[in-house]
Amino acid sequence: MRKLINQLASRLPLEFRVLFRQFLLRVIDLEALSIEADVERFLGQFAGVLIMISFVLAARLIYPTLFMDQAHTASFLREMTLQSEQSVINITFLVTGLITVISWDATFPDRRDVMVISPLPVKPYTILFAKISASAAVLSLAVLSLNLPASSVFSLLLGPLSGSAWGAIRFFCAYWFVIAAGSVFLYGSVLTIQGITTLLFPRRITLRISALLQLAAFALFVSVYFLEPSTPTFGALTQPQNQAFITWSPPYWFLALMNQLTGTLPPSLAWLATRAWFGLGISVTGAVVSLLFCYLQTMKRTVEEPDLVPGAGGLHWAPRIGSLLQTALVLFSIRSLTRSRQHRVAFAFFASLVSAIALSMVHAETQAQKPTPVSMDYLIPTFMMMGFATYGLRSVFSLPISLTANWVLRTTQLRAPEKYFAATRITMFLFAVAPVWFLSAALSAPLWPFSAVGGHLLVLALFGSLLVELCLIGLYKVPFTCSYLPGKLNIQVVFWGMLIVYSTVVLSFAEFENQALRNPNQFAVLVSALVVVIVGLWTFNHNRAKSAELYFEELPEEPITMLRLIIAPPPRSD
Amino acid sequence: MLELRRVSKHFSGIPAVDDVSFSTRPGEVTGYLGPNGSGKSTTMKMITGLIEMTLGEILFEGKPIQDDLIGYKRRMGYVPEEPYLYNHLSGTEYLTMVAQLRDLPALESADRIDGMLRLFSLHDDRHASISSYSKGMRQKILLIAALMHNPQLILLDEPFSGLDVGSALVLRSLIQELAARDKVVLFSSHELDTVERVCSHVVILHRGKVVADDSIERLRSLMELPTLEAIFSQLAVEQDSDSMARQIADLIHA
Repeated sequence: MRKLINQLASRLPLEFRVLFRQFLLRVIDLEALSIEADVERFLGQFAGVLIMISFVLAARLIYPTLFMDQAHTASFLREMTLQSEQSVINITFLVTGLITVISWDATFPDRRDVMVISPLPVKPYTILFAKISASAAVLSLAVLSLNLPASSVFSLLLGPLSGSAWGAIRFFCAYWFVIAAGSVFLYGSVLTIQGITTLLFPRRITLRISALLQLAAFALFVSVYFLEPSTPTFGALTQPQNQAFITWSPPYWFLALMNQLTGTLPPSLAWLATRAWFGLGISVTGAVVSLLFCYLQTMKRTVEEPDLVPGAGGLHWAPRIGSLLQTALVLFSIRSLTRSRQHRVAFAFFASLVSAIALSMVHAETQAQKPTPVSMDYLIPTFMMMGFATYGLRSVFSLPISLTANWVLRTTQLRAPEKYFAATRITMFLFAVAPVWFLSAALSAPLWPFSAVGGHLLVLALFGSLLVELCLIGLYKVPFTCSYLPGKLNIQVVFWGMLIVYSTVVLSFAEFENQALRNPNQFAVLVSALVVVIVGLWTFNHNRAKSAELYFEELPEEPITMLRLIIAPPPRSD
Repeated sequence: MLELRRVSKHFSGIPAVDDVSFSTRPGEVTGYLGPNGSGKSTTMKMITGLIEMTLGEILFEGKPIQDDLIGYKRRMGYVPEEPYLYNHLSGTEYLTMVAQLRDLPALESADRIDGMLRLFSLHDDRHASISSYSKGMRQKILLIAALMHNPQLILLDEPFSGLDVGSALVLRSLIQELAARDKVVLFSSHELDTVERVCSHVVILHRGKVVADDSIERLRSLMELPTLEAIFSQLAVEQDSDSMARQIADLIHA
């Protein structure tokens, strides 16, 4: 198979292959996500995670049928058909959406491409095809991995329900057509919006809008996935209260399309499938037209127009936060987080986990008939959010923004390392602990009186402080300034580690807190214990920081232990 | 006074700077010259404390700089060879950050930054991202950052790089003015004509070793050569430039 792919690839023009490889690296330029910056290995791991999710989706259908007789199995599968289809479409939309967010701008020509490739004898359409192919390769890998096991299982179990001998094959074809069409629709829609922005506005405004659009798209994909109501039957879809939502929700359009292709869609919902066809047509046309225009018209403009033009207007307020050093480092951190695409996306990954948990909480609480007393359903998510936010920020701090510019921090290092350490602590409080705390307080406000959640908010603040101190152990560097060993961030490990280890710890802690909230003495013990641990960790960190040295380069562990008995040649005697 | 005593720097055992000694006094502009790879920037980085020397000693006002590195850094201004800056910040943001890192009082430094941005004709662009700055504009930002705390020791590594003619003339006068105010100025450049006009004293480096350390006047009379360029060519340039140019052209043509 590999040989065949290599043979086919070798028939493609050399410049296309070179550009494809370069752009593929660019699409996944979050080197931090990869294992030792190995693209193939990263893609393999990425696919592995998605295949696992697909198996979970399939298992939800297989597992119950193992314990049922034939008659019950058929009725169970009929009941589950629409839900199962909806779940694969929704998760495909979410994954496609997240990939479009991560690879934002990767399909359009940027200044680097224009400056480096334009002087070479390479035609614009070669650049265009190489860019589209790179993005499409990552997207296809994700969609295939996410759906391969699920599509086989669904086709074998749900296809024959139609009674036709060809039911399984028909279902399989319909499944893949709809999944591919849905992904193309979403990706094309994003490209169309980006293309229109690029064509309509000057480059400097496009760059600003693009950053906002990226975050908005990200919020939209996550919100739709977590807030979309589940409709287990076609009857529920035709309910008047659901009409407004399904009319404007593309996942429902493609759900209807899947059922139209399998022959199970009621005629009263045919209009939904028609929307999918129209949406697909508009999205593909829009993407093709805007991409062509961008490559033919705006490539020259990209060179001529500066990324940002001089401007004396606007708000340039920079608040004072603590000492001058703290102000400098906090402002540097917020500017790095908000202005660098790589850092924004890496932080967005963790922010997505936080917002997903928050949205799940909102969803769960609004689904409930009446607000329950402060419960584990509220406590656990808040601790999870705090964990992801603090560790996420700590991880993003490890991504350098411009190593070559660090000389200025080294030549102006006029204070003791513990002062820098304190500035990093404040930054973590401001960007991780405080937002999660306020979000948790805001989410609890409509459901419970402050007196009911005040105790938990105090514990949450202390818990956040504890996590900050844990994250600060050994962090003797200025955020965003230290080189890192590729793959050190290792998001895959962090993700699964947090999910398994941290959630187990949180579960136990939340159970204990839940009891403590009902018992003042126990609560006082809990708070006191937390304070003691925090003070202990703070003292430990502070004392170690006093004797530490700020470092700007992460050095790999040596495979052989060096004794370092000779560190320099002996001085000459002449 | 800045003094280097038998300073060496080895990378993986290979000497980049080998047994370099020279001194530069207040009120004097010392030119530090050498061909590419001769060890000029490595010496500059050792003087700033960015890299550690393998052997030797660097003294400022008679004391080893390592004895009070923080105090030394307070009194030093440095313009590096390449205009590496944090591109995601604006000019004002970058300079304000440097002022804060240097612990300069907020109001005073804001006025000083504003004034220097005006004098360097960067005021209109002060809120633009540094990524949109030209090389010359970046160089001006580096100069402001190096000078705004009124340092006693000024280290300039190719400070004229990218500057337009007008700005270069201003900088040339500024270097002389700073020396006249008793600053210690060490100035590394490939522009021999400028060095000849600005510097009173030169140190020429070749393959990591000092091959000349004297006033330009004395070097001229000792070597009986009319210009610094001629002195430099004799001491530090190995290849015949005309012959090399011919070989390159032949290779391209082949």
